[in-house]
Amino acid sequence: MTASNAPLCVILSLLASTLCGQQPAASSDALLQHAIALHQAGQLDDAIRAYREYLAVEPDSVQARSNLGAVLARAGRYDEAIAEYGLGLRKSPDNPALLLNLGLAYYKTGRHAEAAARFERAVSLSPQFQEQVTLLLAVCYNNLGRYKDAVALLAPLEKDKAGDAGFDYLYGTALIGDGQEAAGTAVMNRILSRGDSAEAYLLRGTLELSAHDRDRARADLEKAVALNPRLAGAHARLGELLLALGDSERARAVFAQELALDPDEFTSNLSMGVLCKQDQVYAEARRYLERALRTRPNDPGVRYQMANVDLATGNPEQARQALEALIKEAPDFAEAHASLATVYYRLNRSADGDRERAISQKLMDQRDALQPGTKPR
Amino acid sequence: MRQCWAVAALCVAGLASWVAAVGAQPEPRRPHFTDIAPKSDFAYRTDNNFTGRKYFPQTMCGGVAALDFDNDGRMDLFFTNGAKLPEMEKTDARFYNCLLRNRGDGTFEDVTARAGLLGKGLGFSFGVAAGDYDNDGYEDLFICNAGRNTLYHNNGDGTFTDVTERSGIGTKPKDVLSVAAAWFDYDNDGKLDLIVSNYTVWTPQIDKICAVNGQEYYCHPKVYPSVAHRLYHNLGNGRFEDVTDSSGFGKELGKGMGIAIADFNGDGYMDVFVANDTVRNFLFINQKDGSFKESGYEWGVAYDENGNAHSSMGADAKDYDNDGFPDLFYNNLKGQIWGLFRNIGGKYMSYVSGMSRVSRLSEHSSGWSNGFVDYNNDGWKDLYSSNGDIDNMGEISRQPDTMFENVDGKEFRDVSAQLGPDFSHAGFQRGSAFVDLNNDGFMDLVVTSLDEKPRILMNSADNGNHWLLVNTIGRRSNRDGVGAALKLTTTSGRTLYNHVTTSDGFMSSSDKRVHFGLGTEKAIESLEIRWPSGIVQTLKKLRADQILTVTEPGR
Repeated sequence: MTASNAPLCVILSLLASTLCGQQPAASSDALLQHAIALHQAGQLDDAIRAYREYLAVEPDSVQARSNLGAVLARAGRYDEAIAEYGLGLRKSPDNPALLLNLGLAYYKTGRHAEAAARFERAVSLSPQFQEQVTLLLAVCYNNLGRYKDAVALLAPLEKDKAGDAGFDYLYGTALIGDGQEAAGTAVMNRILSRGDSAEAYLLRGTLELSAHDRDRARADLEKAVALNPRLAGAHARLGELLLALGDSERARAVFAQELALDPDEFTSNLSMGVLCKQDQVYAEARRYLERALRTRPNDPGVRYQMANVDLATGNPEQARQALEALIKEAPDFAEAHASLATVYYRLNRSADGDRERAISQKLMDQRDALQPGTKPR
Repeated sequence: MRQCWAVAALCVAGLASWVAAVGAQPEPRRPHFTDIAPKSDFAYRTDNNFTGRKYFPQTMCGGVAALDFDNDGRMDLFFTNGAKLPEMEKTDARFYNCLLRNRGDGTFEDVTARAGLLGKGLGFSFGVAAGDYDNDGYEDLFICNAGRNTLYHNNGDGTFTDVTERSGIGTKPKDVLSVAAAWFDYDNDGKLDLIVSNYTVWTPQIDKICAVNGQEYYCHPKVYPSVAHRLYHNLGNGRFEDVTDSSGFGKELGKGMGIAIADFNGDGYMDVFVANDTVRNFLFINQKDGSFKESGYEWGVAYDENGNAHSSMGADAKDYDNDGFPDLFYNNLKGQIWGLFRNIGGKYMSYVSGMSRVSRLSEHSSGWSNGFVDYNNDGWKDLYSSNGDIDNMGEISRQPDTMFENVDGKEFRDVSAQLGPDFSHAGFQRGSAFVDLNNDGFMDLVVTSLDEKPRILMNSADNGNHWLLVNTIGRRSNRDGVGAALKLTTTSGRTLYNHVTTSDGFMSSSDKRVHFGLGTEKAIESLEIRWPSGIVQTLKKLRADQILTVTEPGR
């Protein structure tokens, strides 16, 4: 999407003016100027070498560290860039430009939780960055399932940006994810009014999927994928639908397509992890689930699945620790209490098992009371 | 030079095909099934009175029992049927239950009226359980209904008498739906007790209408309350006591479907698994003092491995990997995962649906009745399921049954399409029973389907494998021998396990004789029977391919 890429080039500029680190000695200053010149000339490998030479002499230079990060990022070497930004932040922890660039590097590697945290901090330190990061932050929020935060961020912009395809898609995704179906439908119709669009079909398919209207959802999601096979999230939603329809074979293929486009896509990693767990191919399940956790660290659903993998692979003690930690943070997670009960029984801790069993039962009963079966099976 | 390369390539290709041919396992010869129901003149069709309005219990109709009611050595068949709705009455013959006597020539005679089993006053019938509760040598029938449940005593002269009132077994409130039942002797006192699986509270008057976009569908079970299953203790002299509360069954509220009976922990006392629809499954472990402890969590069978309760339907407990411990199999609806659980040393169950490939094989089917059955007599119990969607709203609502063939006790493969067109019939299949109708040692199948005649599927029995059927007669134990655990060792040292029960699947009751497929082995080194009384009986040097009647020693 244009929304996710547009502000990137704005941020990846040299930061000499914003940094107020130590002044290097005159002899090494020439080395730095040479590195900057190479950087500006787009000679990335030479610039990286020059910055490193300079940093060997002046290891505490935040400016050089930041620039090295920037040139590494420009060369697509994001993990190295993250390391350099990290070193820079050790010296200058509240440097908003460094935080911003670190956020961008995380963003580019699909680590949206880390990216969002850096963007938020950068904006809190330097509100003028707000405009530059809003859309990126919204993408992060949507990917993290923080739809309410995305809506809060985007709603004030609707007046000015409505009609911009990138904005509408981002906003529509946030609204639908947040359960604001009517407002989401209005945004989706705005996209549709401009003609056939994969984004609009994806949004409508997502809405239909959440309404259990599976036939229509299937038609729209397949249309979205056909119109734009590279549209982020389209294969993932189609995979979800196929799973709901009981076609796990095709769902696997579709999730694999999504992951080929974006190896960090959350739903696809989680679903593939669950499917592999279902097939009792536990090493592979763990690999997918770890990838999902990288995208959404601490996601209770993924952690729950990981704990169940522990239990299934004969590690009840590890499962116990994971589940105990999980229910501390998510005390209403009925399934986690149920699994923990089984783990306790397996560990011959009957009293604890009985307690967890009672809690899980109570939570499930409460949930059933709130959601009487109102849809066909 | 190019020619040389071409020759080399041909050689390599030839080698590859030779390797493939050597490495490939030859497909075993498989029996197939042929429906012989059309040869017989009987009126029974499974009639749930679907006229457009979707009453909640209409999805469940057509229980089957296989029993030799007249002790002529040939297994007969009994079917339950629906009722006119909302009247809840069997207003005319199309709703009557049905007893078919096996003539022994591949045809069946409808003897329902003569036997007194039409069930005119029963309302909408669901499950049926066959068992000799009074140890008089004749199989009796218990029928689950919306309305009052019914116990029929077999008079031994081809007729039955409704003894519900005087038996004390009619304690169920009329608005509770009982859908399945199983006979077993939970206290090993030599008399068959009865467990009844209850579904919910329902009458036509409180039936809810559920619809989406103006189209009515069968309501989700969550719109109705859960209820307790009921346990009846056989006091002797034809009397039963409702011990639901004192036994611990009353504490757990579920939406009961199929029941599986087995001694899961090997302590000599029968335990009870109840598959529940949309709520967690129950495993009642016998405490040997007249009470049970619901232990689904401990054993890991309450939910699937993701903590989800599914629409569990049929259930069966048998030893599919021949390790001496009964395993568990339940099915459920399309898109869910059928549960296959391996019993780990009588301590807990390991969820093996994925590893055994059952999850992938089953995901397109909505299963109802089910069970372990060694259909090809290779000594490995296979997985059968009668299938069909709950509703008639989709293109693939009508579904064929499935047979997943057991591969060395480790995994399963779908052989359904190879079992003949009659097996592959697509419908809204519901009840099913495993029974050897022609005493040829190969298990036949009887399957009901909504708004259709039942299929009586005869096994072609033509793969040359050998077998043993054991008909147990208890003396200190209950006369049927229900609960007796059998261990068979062949001359090659192969060990097979099974136990006596008529309860499997959903709403149904199977051949009580214990079936062993023996593969290519023609002789049995030993057969050990551990009777519910505790007596252990060992028979040596038996020939295969016989129906062996074994009477419990001593009294």
